[in-house]
Amino acid sequence: MNSSKELPAQFQGLSYNDLNAMLNLYGPDGKIQFEVDRYAARQYFLDHVNNNTVFFHDLDEKLEYLVKHEYYERETLDQYSMNFIRDLFKHAFGKKFRFETFLGAFKFYTSYTLKTFDGKRYLERYEDRVCMVALHLARGDEKLAMHLVDEIIEGRFQPATPTFLNAGKAQRGELVSCFLLRIEDNMESIARAVNSSLQLSKRGGGVALSLTNLREHGAPIKQIENQSSGVIPVMKLLEDSFSYANQLGARQGAGAVYLNAHHPDIYRFLDTKRENADEKIRIKTLSLGVVIPDVTFELARKNEDMYLFSPYDVERVYGVPFSEISVTEKYYEMVDDARIKKTKISAREFFQTLAEIQFESGYPYIMFEDTVNKANPIAGRITMSNLCSEILQVSSASEFSDDLSYKTVGKDISCNLGSMNIAKAMDGKDLATSVDIAIRALSAVSDMSYIASVPSIADGNSKSHAIGLGQMNLHGFLAREHIYYGSEEGIDFTNIYFYTILFHALTASNKIAMERGETFDNFENSKYASGEFFDKYTEQEWVPATERVRELFDGMQIPTQEDWKALKASVMEHGIYNQNLQAVPPTGSISYINNSTSSIHPVAAKIEIRKEGKIGRVYYPAPYMNNENIDFYEDAYEIGYEKIIDTYAAATQHVDQGLSLTLFFKDTVTTRDINKAQIYAWRKGIKSLYYIRLRQLALEGTEVEGCVSCAL
Amino acid sequence: MTEKIQLTNKVEAINWNRIQDDKDVEVWNRLVNNFWLPEKVPLSNDIQSWGTLTEDEKLLTMRVFTGLTLLDTLQGTVGAVSLIPDAITPHEEAVYTNIAFMESVHAKSYSSIFSTLASTKEIDEAFRWSTENVNLQKKAQIIESYYHGEDPLKRKIASTLLESFLFYSGFYLPMHWSSHAKLTNTADLIRLIIRDEAVHGYYIGYKFQKGLENETEERKQELKDYTFELMYELYENEVQYTHDLYDPVGLSEDVKKFLHYNANKALMNLGYEAMFPSTVTDVSPAILAALSPNADENHDFFSGSGSSYVIGKAVNTEDEDWDF
Repeated sequence: MNSSKELPAQFQGLSYNDLNAMLNLYGPDGKIQFEVDRYAARQYFLDHVNNNTVFFHDLDEKLEYLVKHEYYERETLDQYSMNFIRDLFKHAFGKKFRFETFLGAFKFYTSYTLKTFDGKRYLERYEDRVCMVALHLARGDEKLAMHLVDEIIEGRFQPATPTFLNAGKAQRGELVSCFLLRIEDNMESIARAVNSSLQLSKRGGGVALSLTNLREHGAPIKQIENQSSGVIPVMKLLEDSFSYANQLGARQGAGAVYLNAHHPDIYRFLDTKRENADEKIRIKTLSLGVVIPDVTFELARKNEDMYLFSPYDVERVYGVPFSEISVTEKYYEMVDDARIKKTKISAREFFQTLAEIQFESGYPYIMFEDTVNKANPIAGRITMSNLCSEILQVSSASEFSDDLSYKTVGKDISCNLGSMNIAKAMDGKDLATSVDIAIRALSAVSDMSYIASVPSIADGNSKSHAIGLGQMNLHGFLAREHIYYGSEEGIDFTNIYFYTILFHALTASNKIAMERGETFDNFENSKYASGEFFDKYTEQEWVPATERVRELFDGMQIPTQEDWKALKASVMEHGIYNQNLQAVPPTGSISYINNSTSSIHPVAAKIEIRKEGKIGRVYYPAPYMNNENIDFYEDAYEIGYEKIIDTYAAATQHVDQGLSLTLFFKDTVTTRDINKAQIYAWRKGIKSLYYIRLRQLALEGTEVEGCVSCAL
Repeated sequence: MTEKIQLTNKVEAINWNRIQDDKDVEVWNRLVNNFWLPEKVPLSNDIQSWGTLTEDEKLLTMRVFTGLTLLDTLQGTVGAVSLIPDAITPHEEAVYTNIAFMESVHAKSYSSIFSTLASTKEIDEAFRWSTENVNLQKKAQIIESYYHGEDPLKRKIASTLLESFLFYSGFYLPMHWSSHAKLTNTADLIRLIIRDEAVHGYYIGYKFQKGLENETEERKQELKDYTFELMYELYENEVQYTHDLYDPVGLSEDVKKFLHYNANKALMNLGYEAMFPSTVTDVSPAILAALSPNADENHDFFSGSGSSYVIGKAVNTEDEDWDF
């Protein structure tokens, strides 16, 4: 990669910013200038990183300094002998890691690496960060620490941002990235939710809250009619809370709110994202999600009205919060029940409005409630998702006293994530080990997390040990192997890969349960315990359908029906440690560091323009792309929604939680096209939809000349 | 110069079912789709970043934006409106009203930026500066005098040069900040403005070329000479203005290249050849790449809304879509 030592004459004098930006401008020969980005990365080290890194004579001096000045946590290092630590660092530096892109290096040094307290100088190289993460997560287990260094530095496993950023540091946020909170229909619960949101944003990533149970605008308070102001003011409170809290300035607080489609405030909720919404009700930074049951699709199919039900009345009639009711199941019963106040809107108009708002804002996300619950192997009900729409876990309500202390601690959700790089994992040829190490690393994060400020989260985590192993670089891998995304071979690979991952993930979790003699809470009532979960693997044979995919798995073992039967027996006997195992996040930052395409969706552009709060505008070339294989990097807008959904459907069937699925459209589409895509996704068994992205090209004649991102 | 602009001689109902020039509809649709308001951009996320700028940089930024406010005010209240009487088609008139309105939105956007980032005192001082800076006032006066002049095609020339050239000494700065990870949300907002101005300059230039078709060779030559003369006059003034603003932070050289680049672009919009050779238009690639008006930027929920969303076209679903 870094073959040439000298910067060629025509690039002399350009800054790394400029060199990177040249990726977006065609070279004199009309081709994309891939090499300039490597010069940019190199120049970045020469001009910036090396000059701004604190120098130490050796590792001992460095660690001593960092511990003494409270940069590193002494406890992390104290679990190991100094000899082992020296070996580990030597091993890591011996791998000769190099960043493949400017953005990878830039992102690492701006957002992850340890800096002096004044923020001006770097104290870590990439290898240092990897070693600290491994030492921290392995908790004294030398073998695991060494394995983890291998998996991370060779790119097969990449912990999520909060873990990779924080592990081993003395001044840090939590290792967990993602929280989901319920809100119940009373002031105490709302107030506690605001408090919890503040506490959780302060400590880490994003918080999602379910508003489905809140009484609607105009509902009675203390039986006096027309008193409640509905969900909007609560959203405002939350939005302000999130902008107030940020994680040591590392990143801004972020939040999402979910609402059931049959909640009476649904249009008000959606209208907060309208372009011309009044300032009082406009929601700028809060993300929105809508929970849609099957019945809504049925009603739209018949072109009927859909009824919206007062959560206040539903709770009084059924004795449980609105979110605990399956709207599909109780729909006609509730329609006929005079005690439940209801309003109606046209179902098709609802879907169209949804699409209109998505045009303007990209929101809301969608969770297909019944699909999600049918696929859920755990006892209980899934009523919401999270900020990236991939976490799907059961929850239960908390009750509060007047002073906001807990009367009963319910179960809220946290999830820690990490992703495998599919290309690197396949190159490693040992999926069983890679998955095993990844599951152990993620379980360690769960074990080490205890969010005392939000007891329902702390409690939920210690009972469930839920984790989310994700995947990224699918498109990069396929393109490198000269397979088109969404082609028969592409989908076949996705199916077999995820099938294999699931087997190894369950195996690893089963092993941990045996080693510790501990399963997740309420394992006995899950479909794992009954064995039902395994039916589709023991009764049906899963093998590659195409020759090309068989080739790709050459020398690797694809689990057989016999393997599944053995695993089933072992799980039924010993259980599994983690209530949830997989979730495929959108992977923003970490995929740049790891040189991956994001998640399992197609590249958004051959040269991606990335804007992030801390970085500004930076350009990222798709991994492994060169001027020869460029045809395999069709972008998501060209590929179209069917192939993306088909690919996701192949993966979804082997993933216990969800997968962030963004839909990409050209701006020539209408709301009808978006609706068609949603219907298609729902029919294919997709569990949730993330953003809608639109690409608008410059009017002919107004574009910047020679700009890569302008070319279709 | 004080004479009132006469808007139209007669009023005729616009029939959008009789289109004389497809470009009118295309541009109208594009402008409507691009409609936006400053409230959609979470500018307050830039407050922290604003705090990291030096005093000189803050002052520069404030001045640049007041300068832009002045130009947008001019274009919104006089410029685009003055083009209406010369419109060849009724639809062209409609497009100008849209342009005029969006220019006012732009002018107001700068105030949103100010009120989010700066104190009243700083804002007032910046506005005072804008009325006192000789070069800024001069460029406004030059343009305004042509808006009040007799010649419709010359008005279009002045307008195109404003839209495609004069704004850019100001636009340089937010693009520069965003490529250095500063004021990125403000840059998003400015990019929305650039997206609009690109279409405005292009459209007015296009209408100029249309108007030119019916002129004699002699008159064509006159207009061309006139264009280059005006361009020189504006350019010289713009160079002074650039030095006034950017010298304290040492960016003047690169801004000037950017001026050359956009001067060529403006001339191109009017159908003329470039004035500056490519050796003096090699703007820093980071700025050039940041300019791309395409809405293809990728961002996440930590980063604000970006400049990529548009108002969509609503179409009912049909029974066949629900066939499952």
